[in-house]
Amino acid sequence: MKAEYVNSFYKATQDVFNLMLDLDVERGNIKVVEGLVSSRNANVVLGVTGDLKGSILFSFTKDMTLEMVRIMSGLEMKTIDNFVSSALGEVANIIGGNALTNLTCYNYICDLVPPQVIIGEYKSLSMANKKALLIPLRTDIGEFDINIFIAENE
Amino acid sequence: MMWKERYRVGVDLIDNQHKELFNRLSNFIQIVQNDTHWEDKMDDVKKTLDFMKEYVVYHFNDEERYQEEISYPELEEHREVHANFREAINEYVRTFEEGQFNEKKIKEFAAKLMTWLIVHVCKMDQKIGEYVREKGGKV
Repeated sequence: MKAEYVNSFYKATQDVFNLMLDLDVERGNIKVVEGLVSSRNANVVLGVTGDLKGSILFSFTKDMTLEMVRIMSGLEMKTIDNFVSSALGEVANIIGGNALTNLTCYNYICDLVPPQVIIGEYKSLSMANKKALLIPLRTDIGEFDINIFIAENE
Repeated sequence: MMWKERYRVGVDLIDNQHKELFNRLSNFIQIVQNDTHWEDKMDDVKKTLDFMKEYVVYHFNDEERYQEEISYPELEEHREVHANFREAINEYVRTFEEGQFNEKKIKEFAAKLMTWLIVHVCKMDQKIGEYVREKGGKV
């Protein structure tokens, strides 16, 4: 797993959080994990195709998700309904789009598969013993993770 | 309040219209999100949807006209993004007209419109203000 992937997604996340939510994002220590697993409540999976192939998983807590949508809409949100989950999916999609633009600097041309939002725990174990990278991230409104499971398309 | 000070472009015409746009979108979201039973609020949802949709188009036209007036160098790119935006809205409207006017789809539309508008105003529209300031406010 190359540093280019991590940097592209981390920078895109910082930029989009700053732009849309006026929040700074700090990175914790990267971990190697088995597949894409999340015990948090709100998960978004983005597919990547093209020069790179795989999936990206964004995992948020319920409270952080509701707060993100409150910041954007100016309205209190009580539950993760279709409005909240669509907004979360779209934020992840925008991050993914920016990350793919960043990846073109490293000569990777890729496309995104539309986001899939999963409310509740998520588990998709990798095949063939391939590992995923987990980037823990911290903001003033909570912590979240990005799991990166992509590799060069052969 | 959905409008935020950091959304300000620095051109009164654009900023006032953005405030109105975010107000209308906020009203639409509030009606979509309130606890009233879906069937009972359907007329209100349709009314605010039309009200907001109409203003998006009106605002885009005005903003493009302003960019023409100031000979904004990125007008064509901006026009194209607006065109894609209009098309995305029209696609939803077509879906609604074809009978899929349901709560789930409307909530999805409201959420997408909100995120798209925030990104557009925070990113692309800010460049108009930067251009005007570069020219010393005299364009």
